[in-house]
Amino acid sequence: MKAKEFNIKWGMVIDLDKCTGCGACMTACQVENNIAPMVDASNKLRTLSWMLVYELSNKKAAPDAEIAYLPRPCMQCGNPTCVPVCPVIATDKNEEGGIVSQIYPRCIGCRYCMAACPYHARYFNWEDPIFPKGMEKTLSPNTSVRPRGVVEKCNFCHTRLMKAKDKARQEGGNPEALADGAYMPACAEVCPTGAISFGDIKNPEHKVHELAKGENAYRLLEKLGLAPQVYYVSKREWVRKLGDNYAATGKAGAEKKHS
Amino acid sequence: MGLDRRGFVKIVMGGVAGTLFTPVIWQSLDDVSIWSQNWGWIPRLNKGEVKAKSALSKLCPAGCAVKVKTVGGLPFAAIGNTANPMSKGGVCPICTGGAQLMYSPARVKSPMKKVGEGKYEAIKWEEAEAMLVEKLTPLKGQDGKIAAISGDETGTANEVLSAMLAGLGSTGFYVMPGEMFTATKGVKLMGGNGQPGFDIEGSDLVLMIGADALDSWGTTVANQKAFAATRPTGGAATAQYIYAGPVLNNTASVCDKWVAVPPTAMATFALALANQLIAAGAVSSAADFGDYKALVAKYTPEAFEAATGLKADVLKDLVAKIKAAKAPLIVAGASFGQGAGALDFVAAASLNVLLGRVGQKGGMTLLGAAPKAIASAADRENAKDAGSFLASVATGKATPGALLIYEANPAFALPQAAEMAKAMGNIGFKVSFSTYMDETAALADLILPAPHPYERFDDAMNPYGVSKPTYLAGKPVVSKPVADCKDPVDVLLAAAAKLGLSLGFDTYADVIKAKATALGGDFDALAAGGIWNGEAKGGALTLGAGALAKAVPVKTDEKAVALAPVTRLAYGTASLATPPANLVTLRDTELVGKDLFVQMNGATAKKLGVAKGNKVKLTSGSGEIKARVHVSEGVAANTVAVLLGFGRSAWDEFTKGKGENVYKILTVSDEAGTGLKVWAGSTVTVAKV
Amino acid sequence: MDRALFPDGVERCSFGKFALWMGFVTAFFLFGLYAMILIFAKGIVVTGLDNYFGFGLWITFDLAVIALGAGAFFTGFLKYILKIDQLKNIINLTVIIGFICYSGAMLVLTMDIGQPIRAWFGYWHPNVHSMLTEVIFCITCYCLVLIIEYVPLILEQKQLNKIPFLHHLAHNMHVNMALFAGIGAFLSTFHQGSLGGMYGVLMGRPYAFREGFFIWPWTFFLFVLSAVGSGPIFTVLCCTLMEKMTGRKLVDFKTKALMGKIAGTMLTVYIFFKILDTWAWANNFLPSVGMTFDQMFYGIIYGKWLMFTEIILCGLVPAIMLITPSIRNNPTLLYTAGILDCIGVTLNRYLFTVQAIAIPVMPFDSWQFYYPNWTEWSTCGMIVAYGVIVMSLSYRYLPVFPQERALNK
Repeated sequence: MKAKEFNIKWGMVIDLDKCTGCGACMTACQVENNIAPMVDASNKLRTLSWMLVYELSNKKAAPDAEIAYLPRPCMQCGNPTCVPVCPVIATDKNEEGGIVSQIYPRCIGCRYCMAACPYHARYFNWEDPIFPKGMEKTLSPNTSVRPRGVVEKCNFCHTRLMKAKDKARQEGGNPEALADGAYMPACAEVCPTGAISFGDIKNPEHKVHELAKGENAYRLLEKLGLAPQVYYVSKREWVRKLGDNYAATGKAGAEKKHS
Repeated sequence: MGLDRRGFVKIVMGGVAGTLFTPVIWQSLDDVSIWSQNWGWIPRLNKGEVKAKSALSKLCPAGCAVKVKTVGGLPFAAIGNTANPMSKGGVCPICTGGAQLMYSPARVKSPMKKVGEGKYEAIKWEEAEAMLVEKLTPLKGQDGKIAAISGDETGTANEVLSAMLAGLGSTGFYVMPGEMFTATKGVKLMGGNGQPGFDIEGSDLVLMIGADALDSWGTTVANQKAFAATRPTGGAATAQYIYAGPVLNNTASVCDKWVAVPPTAMATFALALANQLIAAGAVSSAADFGDYKALVAKYTPEAFEAATGLKADVLKDLVAKIKAAKAPLIVAGASFGQGAGALDFVAAASLNVLLGRVGQKGGMTLLGAAPKAIASAADRENAKDAGSFLASVATGKATPGALLIYEANPAFALPQAAEMAKAMGNIGFKVSFSTYMDETAALADLILPAPHPYERFDDAMNPYGVSKPTYLAGKPVVSKPVADCKDPVDVLLAAAAKLGLSLGFDTYADVIKAKATALGGDFDALAAGGIWNGEAKGGALTLGAGALAKAVPVKTDEKAVALAPVTRLAYGTASLATPPANLVTLRDTELVGKDLFVQMNGATAKKLGVAKGNKVKLTSGSGEIKARVHVSEGVAANTVAVLLGFGRSAWDEFTKGKGENVYKILTVSDEAGTGLKVWAGSTVTVAKV
Repeated sequence: MDRALFPDGVERCSFGKFALWMGFVTAFFLFGLYAMILIFAKGIVVTGLDNYFGFGLWITFDLAVIALGAGAFFTGFLKYILKIDQLKNIINLTVIIGFICYSGAMLVLTMDIGQPIRAWFGYWHPNVHSMLTEVIFCITCYCLVLIIEYVPLILEQKQLNKIPFLHHLAHNMHVNMALFAGIGAFLSTFHQGSLGGMYGVLMGRPYAFREGFFIWPWTFFLFVLSAVGSGPIFTVLCCTLMEKMTGRKLVDFKTKALMGKIAGTMLTVYIFFKILDTWAWANNFLPSVGMTFDQMFYGIIYGKWLMFTEIILCGLVPAIMLITPSIRNNPTLLYTAGILDCIGVTLNRYLFTVQAIAIPVMPFDSWQFYYPNWTEWSTCGMIVAYGVIVMSLSYRYLPVFPQERALNK
C-alpha cells in the first residue's frame, strides 16, 4: 500500500537526547484535550494518555545503565492501519496536512482501530469524563468532552491548526502556507527543553524539514510500512536500535521483560 | 384462508415499506449520535474570548513565569512566557496544570476552626481574624512564644513574617529545609557570604554532584533551557553534562555520563575528585590550599572505590574532561534537594574554588543580600531551620504558645515526619495559612485559606540556583478567588495592626511594590512577565578545609543499605501533593494502586535476597515503610531508591493513602563540626514481608 | 401436561424434569443477564478489557461460535444446492445451532461496543474498505436468513401447524428454502472470510498480517475453510450430546459420519494451506518486518505450545482422523476428532484475537496479560444458556429430527 500524500505534512521531530521525561507534555496534553483526571492513574492499561512518555533502557547493569525517554503522540501515519479498519468512518486521513482525524460522535467504540495500532496511540474512553467539582470551569475551549465508550487519540491539537489558519486568513496570509511556529500542538509548545520540534515536514522553511532528514533521524517501526509523520532523533545508537525490530540483521529485538 | 406465494411477498414488502414511511424512526435514529455525545452529565465547554495573561506561578519552588490562557475570564491552561528571560517559554510540569489546581478538591474553601480531633467548622473571616489576634495578644512581647514556619523560600512574605515576629518580641522565625538553607551555611564555612549561584548557561562542562538540576533542583526550567541551548537538535553538543548521584534520574537520563555514587558517599566522591585534580596539577591560590591538599590526600582512588563501588577510572575520565573544558562548573546539591550537610556542599563547591571558577562566566557566583522592603525583617542567611525547632519543641526545650505556618507542610515534609507531627501537638495554637488541606492544616487549630497563585500578588527573590540576583513578581489573573480566601500577608498585616504593630504596609501588594522599588525595578513591568536582574559577585572563597577537616566519614552498617529518596517535580513538591493533572505521568514501576515501589539494582536485590514484585519493609531508626521491589539498574550500589512525596494522609482522593511517606524513615543526625541537622545519608534495612 | 405440544410419535421427559432442567439453565442465563445490565449501565469498564486488549474473550467467543455455527450455511449449501439428500436428517439441527450462534454473537457484539445505541452506524455510515463493515452487514443479513430458515420449523409445531395460515406460510417458506440457502451460503462465505480478513489487514500486527502470499488477505480464505472444516462436526457433537442427555437416538450414525467426512475434507484442505501459510509467514513475512518467530511467543500463557496445539494436535490430527474412513466410522474416534477439531478452530480464533495484540511490536514495549473477568465469562455463559434454552425448547416441541421416530422404534 502506498502512503497517502498531501502537499502539507504536519509532523514532529522529537529529540530523545533532550527529553528529560519531566512529563510536562503529558500534562499539557491532558489539559488541552480535556481529559478528566483519573483517580487511579497507575493502571496504565486503563488510563488515557494521548501523549505517553515511554522509558527506554539500554539493559546494562549499574553503573553502565542508561535510560532515555520517548514521548509517543499519535504518529499520524501516512499509511494508517487504523483508518481502513474503522467500520463507520469515524477516523480518516483526508485533510491537507495528513492529520488522522477521530470523530467522536461517530465512533461506536468497537476498538478495532486500537487492535490495529502497534503504537498504542489510541485509547478507549472507559469512563464518563467526570471532573472534580468546579474543575470543569478549566475546560479548554479547544476540544469537546467525549462521552464514555468512544476511542480517542492525539490529533496534533487540530483545533489549533484551525485557529492558526483563521488567523492567517484574518491577517491576509496564506492559510495553506503557515509560518514555522504559527501552529504548535500543546506538547511541543510546553516542552521545557524544546525536545519536540513541530512543523510542515514538506516545507523547506520549516525547521523540521531538515531535522527529519538528519542522519540520526528515524521513525518507529519503519519496516511495517505505516509511514509515520513523527520522527525521532538520537545520537545514541542503542536508542535508535529500539526504534524498530532488526531481527533479520541480528540486532536488538523485542524486550521480553516488563520494564 | 389461503395464502399463496404472491400474497406472502405482498405482506412482507408492505410491512417493511409501511414502517419505513414513519418519520419517527428516522428522526430518532438520526438523533442518536447527538444524544450519545451530549448526555447531561458530560460537561460543556466554556465560551468567550481567549486571552493570555502573565502570571508568576509559584506552584513549583522556583516559580514559573507563565502566560495563563483564559476563556471568558476562566483560566484553562498555562504556557510559557517567551518574553521572560528566565523561563524562555518553558513551563514545568506542575505549573502546566496550574489552572486545574485552582479547583483541586483539596482546596480549603473557607476559614475553618478545629472543633475536635479531625473535626473542623467553617467560620467567617471576621471570626477567624479576631481569633488570631485574640490568641496572639497574650503572647506578645515574650520571646519564643510566637513562632512561624515558612515554606516559601523566595517570597517577600518572609520579610513580613519575620518583621512581625520581631515586632512582637519573638525571634522564632523558621524555614523549611532546602538547598538554599544548607548552601548559605556552606558558603559561610568557606569564608563567604550570601547565596551561591551557578551559571549553568555559561558553562561548557556541568558536573552536577547530587543536584537534580534538570528536574527538581533550583530553577528547573531555566536550567533545562540552558541545557537545551547546548544541544541543538541535529547539531553538535556545545557543552557536556555529567551527573553524579545515587539514581539515574531525569537529569542523569540526558547527561553524557552518570556516575553512580551512593548517597552516603557524595562528599567522598567530591573530595576524591579533588584529590585527582590536584594530582593532575590543579593548584589554588586560596589561603587554605595546603590544608586542603593534605586533607584530600586521604581520599585516594582506593578509598573512592571502597565508598562508591565504582572503578577509579571514572575519576580519571572526569579529570580529563574537566581539564579539557573551558568553563567547567560543579553544581553542588543533595539528590533530593534537602538534607545534605553544609560540609557536603563545601566538599562539592570547593571544586569550583580549586578550579578557579568562582565569579567566572560559567562558574559559581555569590548573590549578596538583596535590599529589603521591611528593614526590621530577618536576613535570609541567618535563617533557622524548622526541623531543629520542632525537635526542641518535642523535647520541651522550646515552648511556643502559637505557631504560624505559612505555605509549609512540616507535619509531612520534615524528616522523621511522625515525630514532627507529634511535636506540633505540644503547641497550643497553630494557624495554617494554606491553599490546600495538607497534613499540617489538618493538625491546625485555625486554617486560613490562602489564594492560588493566579489569585494573588506574589514575588520571588533569588530562586535558588540563579547565577545573578533575580526578581520576579506577579499579580492576580482572575478578579475573584474561587474559594473564600484572603492573602495570608494581608491577614498578618491586619493582625499586626490590631496588635499595635505597624510594618508600614496594609497589603502584600504594597510590600511587593516596595520591594520592586527597593531593587530599582518596576512592579508593573515585572507583573507583565518581566524580570529584574542584578550583578553577580565573585568573592574570595576558601576551600573550606577547616570545616572539612571536622567531617566524619559516614559509617555504614553491614546490614543496612543507603536510602536515596527521589524527587520528581511532576509528582509534587514539599508543599504540594501530586496535582490531579500530573498523576498520569506516574510510572507503573513507581506506584501501582496504593503500593509504592522501592528501586534497587540487580546486585543489591540479590544481596538483600529480594526479587521483583516482593513486598518489603524498609526500616530506619525513625520508622518503617512498606513497598514493593522494582529492580532497576539505574540505582547506585548498595542503595535503595524510593519516591518522596507520597503517603499523604490529607489532601484529596487523588493522593490520599497512596504509597508511604518516605520522610518518616529519614533519620536526622548532627553534622560533625557544624551542628546542622542532616539526613541525606540515611540508611535502612530491607526485609521481605 | 404439555404432551399435546410434542412432535408426533415421540417421547419426551416429564414436564417436572424439564422444568427443573430449564430452571437450572435459566439460573446461568439470569446471572449473565445481570452482568449484561451492569455492562450497559456502567460501560465496559466493568470488564477485564483494557487499552492493550480492546479485543478479548467476547471477540474470541464470537469468532468461535460463528465458525462453529458454520454448519448451518455449509450443510444448507450441500443439501439445497448440491442436493446431498442424506443431510436432511440433520439440516434442522444445523439451522437451529446456526441461529443460536449468530444471534448470540450479535448480542455479545452489542455489549462489546462502547456505544451500543450507535450499533447500527455500520449501516448508516459504512466504511466500504473495512472488513468489519462487511462482517456487520453479512452477519446481520445472515442472521435474518437463519430466522427465515428457523421460522418454518417453528410453524411446523404440531398445534401451530393446524392453523391454515401458518401452515401455508411454512409451506411457502419451505418451497423457497433453496433460495435462502443460497443467499445464506453467499453471505456466510463472505463474512467468515471477512472475519479472517479483519486480522489479515492489520499491518501493525505481525502475528496476524498476511499480504503477498497467494492473494490478499490470505486469512480471508483460511477462516472460511477452517469454519466449514469445523462447523459440520460441531453440529454432530451437539447432536450426540443431546442423544446422551435424552437417551434417544436422533440422527443415524451414517449421517454423522457423512458430516464428519465433509468437515474432515474441508479441514484437510484448510490445514494444508494453514501449514503452508505459517511456514511462509515465519520464513518470509516476519523477517521482512525485522521480527522472528520466537518474538511471537512468550512464557507459558503466550507460549509456542499454543500454535503447535492449534495446528498439529487440533488441526492435522483430526484432519487425518476424519478423512480416514476406518477411524471416522468408529463413533468414539469420530467424536474425539470432532472435539479436537472444534478446540483447534477456537484456539485459532483466540490466537488471532489475543496473541496477535499481546505481542509487543515496539521493541521497548512489553508483554501484557489479559484476564477476562466475571462479567465477560458470565455473559458468554448467558449466550450458552440461551442456546441451551432454545435448543431444549426446540427439541421438546418441534419436529427437529425427521429420523427420530424410526430410530427409536
